[in-house]
Formats: sequence, structure tokens, C-alpha cells
Amino acid sequence: MSLQDRLSTIRDAAVSELMGALDLPALERSKGLFLGPEGRFTALIKELSALAREERPLAGKAINAAKQELEALLAEKRATLERTASLPKEAADFTAPGRRRPLGRLHPLTLVTEDIVRAFRRLGFAVADGPEIEDEYHCFDALNTPSDHPARDAQDTFFIETPGRPLLRTHTSSVQIRVMETMPPPIRIVVPGRVFRRDNADATHNPTFHQIEGLYVDKGVTLGDLKGTVEAVFKDVLGDDIKLRFRPHYFSYTEPSMEIDFTNALVKKLGKDWLEIAGCGMVHPKVFETVAYDPEVWSGWAFGFGIERIAMLRYGITDIRLFYENDTRFLRQF
Amino acid sequence: MKVTLNWLKQYVDIPWSPEELTERLTLLGVEVEGVQKIDGEWDGVVVAQIVTRDKHPNADKLSLCRVNDGTGERQIVCGAQNFKVGDKVPLILPGASLPMKLGDKELFTIKVGKIRGIESHGMLCSHEELGIDPESIGHCKEDGLLLLRETAVVGQSLASYLGRSGSDVVYDLEITPNRPDLTSLIGIAREIAAITGQPLRLPECRVLLECGVTAASLVSVSLEAPDLCPRYTARIIRGVKVGPSPVWLRSALEKVGVRSINNVVDVSNYVLLETGHPLHTFDYSLIAAGAGGKPSIVVRRAVFEESFTTLDGRAHRLGQEALLIADAEKGIALAGLMGGSNSEIRESTVDVLIESAYFSPASIRRTSKALGVRTDASYRFERGADVGICDYASRRCAALILETAGGQLAEGSVEVYPSPFEPHQLALRYQRTDALTGTVISPEEQSRILIGLGLVNVTPIGGSVETATWLIPTWRVDLKREVDLIEEVVRVFGVGRIPSTQSRRAQGSHPADAHFDRLTEVRRLLSGLGLDEAQGQTLVAEASARWVTEGVVLLSNPLSSEMNALRPSLLPGLLDTLRHNLSRRNGDVQLFEIGRVFVPHEGGLREGWRLALALTGARAPRFWSGLDRDARCDIPDLKGLIEEVIERIGLRGIAWIRRAEPTSLFIESASIALGGKLALGQLGQLQPQLGKLYDLRDGVFLAELDLDLLFQRGNSAKSFKPLAQFPSIQRDLAMIVVESTTHDAVLAVIKQAKPAHLETMALFDVFRGKHVPEGRKSLAYSFTYRAADRTLKDDEVNAAHGRVIEAVKEALGAVLRD
Repeated sequence: MSLQDRLSTIRDAAVSELMGALDLPALERSKGLFLGPEGRFTALIKELSALAREERPLAGKAINAAKQELEALLAEKRATLERTASLPKEAADFTAPGRRRPLGRLHPLTLVTEDIVRAFRRLGFAVADGPEIEDEYHCFDALNTPSDHPARDAQDTFFIETPGRPLLRTHTSSVQIRVMETMPPPIRIVVPGRVFRRDNADATHNPTFHQIEGLYVDKGVTLGDLKGTVEAVFKDVLGDDIKLRFRPHYFSYTEPSMEIDFTNALVKKLGKDWLEIAGCGMVHPKVFETVAYDPEVWSGWAFGFGIERIAMLRYGITDIRLFYENDTRFLRQF
Repeated sequence: MKVTLNWLKQYVDIPWSPEELTERLTLLGVEVEGVQKIDGEWDGVVVAQIVTRDKHPNADKLSLCRVNDGTGERQIVCGAQNFKVGDKVPLILPGASLPMKLGDKELFTIKVGKIRGIESHGMLCSHEELGIDPESIGHCKEDGLLLLRETAVVGQSLASYLGRSGSDVVYDLEITPNRPDLTSLIGIAREIAAITGQPLRLPECRVLLECGVTAASLVSVSLEAPDLCPRYTARIIRGVKVGPSPVWLRSALEKVGVRSINNVVDVSNYVLLETGHPLHTFDYSLIAAGAGGKPSIVVRRAVFEESFTTLDGRAHRLGQEALLIADAEKGIALAGLMGGSNSEIRESTVDVLIESAYFSPASIRRTSKALGVRTDASYRFERGADVGICDYASRRCAALILETAGGQLAEGSVEVYPSPFEPHQLALRYQRTDALTGTVISPEEQSRILIGLGLVNVTPIGGSVETATWLIPTWRVDLKREVDLIEEVVRVFGVGRIPSTQSRRAQGSHPADAHFDRLTEVRRLLSGLGLDEAQGQTLVAEASARWVTEGVVLLSNPLSSEMNALRPSLLPGLLDTLRHNLSRRNGDVQLFEIGRVFVPHEGGLREGWRLALALTGARAPRFWSGLDRDARCDIPDLKGLIEEVIERIGLRGIAWIRRAEPTSLFIESASIALGGKLALGQLGQLQPQLGKLYDLRDGVFLAELDLDLLFQRGNSAKSFKPLAQFPSIQRDLAMIVVESTTHDAVLAVIKQAKPAHLETMALFDVFRGKHVPEGRKSLAYSFTYRAADRTLKDDEVNAAHGRVIEAVKEALGAVLRD
């Protein structure tokens, strides 16, 4: 049998051996069998020297071509087997639930407060705050509340057992005084904060609740400005489709005073024409006199409302106590 | 306060529908809280007169009539026989319904329809169809139509013919406390008149029948406390017949929720509602005579501890501040609050004394509060009654008593009014209204509005045209300065007519502005880390506050012992929250709260912002695969969260100082300190016994940080460090040390050894058990070495790492593992 013939036989055997390898170790074994140092192909190359000089180039060329073919085949087979070997043992079930990184939720009162504050800030208001423990002066007297007003009663307001009989502020309006006492006009502030009333907890009351209040003092501030800002804030917070109306009312620290009602599709759905949402008015000249602003020079307005009420309206929450129980099933809905 | 539409119409014409009146009142500042329509009796039934009567062309027993209904003639088919042309009969108009009778399933509503081919536009009614017993109204009982008296007015409603109530609308109004003048029908009517420009019609009661005897001969009045009662008027009517009130009076009162008692008492209530002025009526015969031999009224302060029984049967012990209406012997009424049972009007009463007085608001308020007596009268006096109306109200009351209970009025009245009230004046600069509203309201319109409200322009002739001086009527106790007049103008002008203006730009700032953003940032961070946000009560139980600290601030008037202290810490509230969740089977809870706490501080109180964390239960939501899927929360979970917060706020040099002993709150805990000293907060595991008190079974991990300090000391400014150019070399080291060796101790030793090029070191394993002796533990660290300017050589790293190994062996007695 000629070398050429044997080459052909060995090549055919090698091809079938390599192609038939079932896994990577089998492939490597087959490779050794033919292309390894002791392999049959290697042995064939060694025989070249035994050939006649003129036969050598031709035979060498044939052997090289066969070897390159086998090596290419080997590389290809190896890639295929490696790919097979790296397949996952079990197929992923893409329908099984994903592993979630738990994300916490912000309290609904926080979400609503931040939205309201954002609306005010867009209009150029700065956040302000003051203490929750207040004195009667800042909570009542400076706000022109008569000395016999029921709000000043131990029936309605929490007093603290400490000399000086401080109290828990009953509204954020005390911050108006705090700010005006220390800062010269013009002033534009929004005051979110906790307030306290001595009400037993029920579906619509909690001794602790939140208010937010805007105050604007400058030269030439008008009732028209008040209306414009109130409309802008509530449209921002409750949606563009709301309607507002201003009803004359009475508060000791504003004059004229108004209550604000709003309506939208939701209010209609509740079977009502209007829902009361806020109180407002032009700052009473007496309040300005108290903080030594000249009411002939400065004018201003304030408006305030309850944050729980907005949150209850926005989310359809019917019991205020839910806000303070922090049931995670409640918190996780926002 | 309740008013009815028909009652209001007595004083002013109302050009609006009942719905529009609701809207108008509300926009005027008198909020309508409820509207109730009352159906009248026999709505749609009118008096009609027969014009012609002919036989029905298609039926023998029916008549074809033309009747006049007051507005015109209409054709009616009728089956009755007992009437003739000219008779006046009840006609029910199409669309109206007959009253329901026993056995009726539904309303029978009259329609225009054909009867035997002829249209009938209504129905003439019998007494049975109307549900009327004819004899009870003085008519003959006969078959067929109810024949009405000849005096009946064609077109008049049957109800008014019979003296019964027609349909009406009851408005429930919210009156703001500054407007006592609006607690009356006349007050409301005056507001309506001010917007419509219609005249206000006050009941005339100037001419009263008086008998020859003067009131002064029958009673004397003395004011011993003119500061508390500046004006007192007494009128006397003799020979009344106390009995049930007439229908109009009873029905007027009942519609607004006042129970009818008898004609005399009802009249005084009626006048109270009408004028807003509380009156009281006494049985004159029960007033004891004084020194002059005639009954005397003395208005005086009570004697300390004086006892008095009000007509509701309650016995009171009075303080000296209480004002009494007394006779020579005893108190007979608590001034402005309630009469006494010893002098009230009873069925046997023949002679009546009408009191109409003005009492100081503060005095009435104090007594009302002290005794817990609140009445319609005290409500009005407290807010300020109209001192000017005393005599008018008294005369009105007298006139109505004479009308409903008969009797004879004694001549004149006995009035004591030592220093008559001087109405005050206010100036209004019209331009000021425009400046405050941002719109132009002409002086003429402003003036018209104020006049409509009863103010009188008293500007001196030739005075300024820009400013007017106004005399304030006595009933407007709320008008005290210029801006109050501006409010009146705005109210009546209509807030809705003032145009809104665009908001202007930013003004100034406040420290809370930045603080608000920092709080927001911490909230976002923690919710991003998987914690839900809680908002707890500010008021907590003192007992639970004391678990955390001794310094607790108490309320002097708590609602309950569950809420009698200001929270000194957010932790008690979070424990309550955990209990709430556990009791609802939410066992896996990870919460944070940001809020204010209150602590005693240098003799006063200090408010501070805190952040608190609470973890219990599973670390992650239950998952269907993974090695640590059953992991529970632990101290490192808690610490990791705090580290994230501290890093975000930008604090370095935090020490975690383990407490040697358990505390009342924690079984195991550490304080968190800055620079080893400044306490920023604490963290730890809740005492299991305490946990049991809160029904918490799993381990509970709590932390609290002082946010004020954190923000104050934090510096979140960032600066860029160039990325490393050269590769690092890593060396691991596992060593066995005694159990008490802390990570901090290892760090300190390494730091002291100052190994060259050490970039970072990280703890990657802590192990106790196999091949580690009892009382010891294995710590494994990975060290990263790197030079900024070249690739390190192996022997350089070996030298450095050798120093590390020597240091731990020497300083910690560590034994190396392989």
C-alpha cells in the first residue's frame, strides 16, 4: 500500500473518530490517537524520510494538507463540544417569579407633603418651620386670637407639664409669627408640620396631624395674588381639572378671611358639589403690628390646609388612624 | 342655625330659586351645611271656581266644566253632582299628587288625559280624595266635591285657605363666631338685602294696646352689676291665657328644630330666632315683692356657693362671678343662660314679665363654662348680643304674646340703661380696598354695599371724597377697624369677581428649606434600601417612653395614659407599630421613621430630629431558591443600613462602642459615636422580655440616630480620585484569635504596623467550630496592595505582608491558618 493510500485511510479514520467524539475528553483522546506524539498521523510523517527524495515534496504536501484539515476539524468539534458542555444542567424557568430587591415605600403623608412643597417651591416659596412646642404668644396672642377663644382651652389644646405652661402648637400658623419676628419682609414661605389638637382618635381625628401653610408678605400683595397662588398650588397637587371657590369666612388672624372649596369628578362621585379644603385670607393688620411690620406698607396673605385630608382625598383613604398605625400592608400601597 | 325660606321671605324679597339662595349665602360667608325641602300639604291643590257646567257629550253621569284656577280657565271632566256654577272647589293641577291614604301602594299623580274622549286638565276633589275631615274645618260633610266658603280666594293654595303650611325649604347655616348678628332671621335677611338691593322689612310693633296701668307701678328693676349687665328692660302683660301656640307659630319653630312648649314661651323663642336677641319670660306672680311693696328685679352677682335650680331641674352651686336675675328674696334666673324653675311660665300663669337685657359676653362665657350650661341664649350673649335691640325685641315679644295669648300690656317699660352705648365710627379709604384686593371697586359701589349692611355714612359735609367715615350699627360687634370694612365690601362684592393674578418670584429663604431637602434625601435612601416609612404618634405612653430614657416630658392635660407623654425617642412608637403589624400577621417588618422628639434640656425643653430604624423577621421576601433565603434580620443588617446613611450624609470616624451591660431597652447594644466621643445614636437588639410585652417573638433590631447632629457634622461634598493606573496584588490571611478580639482591634494593630502600599483590607470570613479551639475564632482578611506609580513586585508585597503577619502574631497572639 502506498503512503498516499495509507494517508487516505488514516485521514478517513481520524475524521470519523473526531466527529464521533461524544465529549471533550473523548475528543482529546481521539486527537492523541492520531495527532499526538505517538499518534498514527505522527508516525506517518516520520516515514517521509524513508521516501525517495523526489517523492518527498509531493507526499509532504499531501500530509500537511490532511493535517491542517484535521486540525480545523478538531477546533470546530472542540468548539461545538465546549458549547454543549457549558449548557446549564437544568433549563431556566423564565416563567418563575423573579428575585426582587425589596424597595421600601415612603409614607403617604410624606409623598403628599413633598408634592405640595414642590408646588409651592415652583412658585418661589422656601420651606420654613418652627418648634412644635409653642407658647401661647406665638400660637394665639400674636395671631390676634381673643384671650377667651375656645382653642385656648385645656379642652382643645395639649399643655405641657413644665414651668411656663408651654403647649403643643395647634396650627402651623405660629410659624408665621416666628418667621416674621426674625426676618424682614418680603417673605415667601411654605410651612409643613405636625400640629396637635386634643381630639380623641376616630375615623376623622387624630391628636397628631399635619398641616401645611403658605405665607407671602410684600409690598402690594393682593387678594388676587392669593387666589392665583391657591389655584396654582391646588391644580398642581390635585390636578388641572379642579374648580375652586372662595367663600368668606372668619379667622382671627386674617381679614378678609375665606374658606376654599374645591370640586372635581371625584367630589361629584362622592355625591357632593363642593368639598372644603383650606382656609385663607389677607394677613390681619394687627398681626403685622405685632411683629412690627407697618400694615400701611406691607400686605400679605396666608393659606393653610390639612395634609391628611389631601392624602385621604387623593388615595381614597377613609380612616385617618391608618396613617399612624403603619400597617405594612397599608404602607406598601403607595 | 336653621332658617326657612318662607320665614326669610317675611323680611326680604328673594329673587332666587332655593338652590341659588344656597349658593349665594355660601359665597357670602354664611355656609349652608344642609338643605331640606319640606313638602307642603296638598301641593298643587288650589281654590278654583266653576265657570260653566255642561253635560259630557259621551257620558250621562259626567259633567264637562270650565273652571277658573286664578291664572286662567281650564277644562275639567267631573263625575260629582253636588255643585253649580259659581261654587268654589279644590282643584288638583296636572303633575301634582293626591295625599297617600291607607292602603295606597303608590302616589296617584294627576295627568292631562281624555275621559270618554274629552280632555280633562286636572281634577276637582272631594274631601275623601284630599284626606280631610270636612267637619274639622267647619265644612259640611256631603258626597261629591268639597265645597269651599265663598270667601275663598280663587287661585289661593288649599293649604293657605286651610291655614296649613305650604312647602318650604329649611337651611342649616354655619355661622362663624364673629357674627352673632347672623344668628337671626333678620340678620340673614339683611345680608340678602345687601346683595339684592331689596329693602329689609322689619316687623312693625310700635303701636301696642296698652291698658292704663304703667309697668313702673308693677315692678322695679335695679342693676347692682352694671359692668356685667349694662341694660335691662322689663315689660309686663297681665291676663294672658297660656296654652298651645297657633299653628303658624308651632310650625315655624318646629321646622327649625325648636320644640313648641306654650304660646308665651314659644313667642320668646320666636323672637329670639327672629331678632337674634334672647329674651326671658317670668311668671310675674312668682317674683317676690321688695321694699317698695311691688315685685322687684335685682341684677346682681351670686353670693359665693349660692344654690340655684335652673328650669331643666339641675341644681347649681354658683361662684361669685355668676350673674343672677333675682327678686328681693331669691335668684329667679341665671342671667343670659337659663331661667329658674321657681319662676318659669306654667299653665296657670296669668301675668308675664318680659325680660330683654344685654349681658357682658365674658361674664356669660365664664358662667356657661363653669356650670356646663349652654343654651341658645348663652350662645348669642357669649358672642355679643345687640345692645341696641333690647327695647325693640321686648316690644316685638309683647305684641306677639298679645296676639297669641291675649292679655293686656302694662303701659311703657321699666328700663335701666345707665350709660347708653355710643356706636363707634370707622374710616374707610376706598383706595385701600383696591390695594388689598388687587382690583378696582368704585367708591360708589363700596358705599352702596356698606349702606346695604346697615352702616351709615357720617362723613362730614365737605370732607374728603377718598375717605368716608361710617357709623357702625350696634349689632355689628365684629367691625373694629378699617380692614373689617374692606372685608364687608369684598364679601358682598364677591370674591369670585376678584381676578386671580400670576404668582410672583421667589423671596428669601429659611434654614428649614435645606433641612427639608436633607430629610427628603434620607427618606429616599432608606426606602431605596428596602425600608418602609412609618409616621408614629407624637404622644406616647409615659411607661413606654421610660424604656428608652428617664427624661420624659409629660402633658398636663392628656387624653389618656396611653398618650400622656411627648415622645423622647421614636423607638416606643416603632415598637407600637411592630406590635400592630405582628398582631396582623405581618411578621417581616423593616421600617424607618424620621420625626421630632422632645427631651428636657437645661431646665427647658428641646426638640430634635431623629431617625429610627426597626427590623424584625425575614431579611428578604421569601424566595423559591437561594442559600440564605431563610435568613433573618440581624445586627449587621441594621449596621449596614446605618452605614449607608452615615456615608450619604458624609461622616467619617464613627466608633461603634459596645455596651458592657444590657440596658432596659437592649439585651445587646452599642452606642454610635463620632470621634469616639460625640454620641450620635445607638443600635442593638431589643430585650426579649420587652419584646414579649409587645407580643414580638422574633429578634427585634432597633437603632436611633440624632439627625440634627448628623446633618450638622456631615459633609457630603465629594471629590474625585484618579482611577488606579497599576495593578494591585492581593494577599489573604486567616488567623485564630481569642473570642474577645474585635475587628476594630485588628484594624488598629494593622494600622500601627504601617505595611507599605496597603490599599484596603476587608474581613471576609468569621468562623467558629471545626479546627478552631473553644473560646477562639478564626478571622480571615483579604489585603490589597498597590502603588500609585508602578506595578509592585512580589517581594515588595511579601515584605509588607510579612509586617502584617508579625504584627498580628505579636499584638493579638494570633495563630495563622493555612
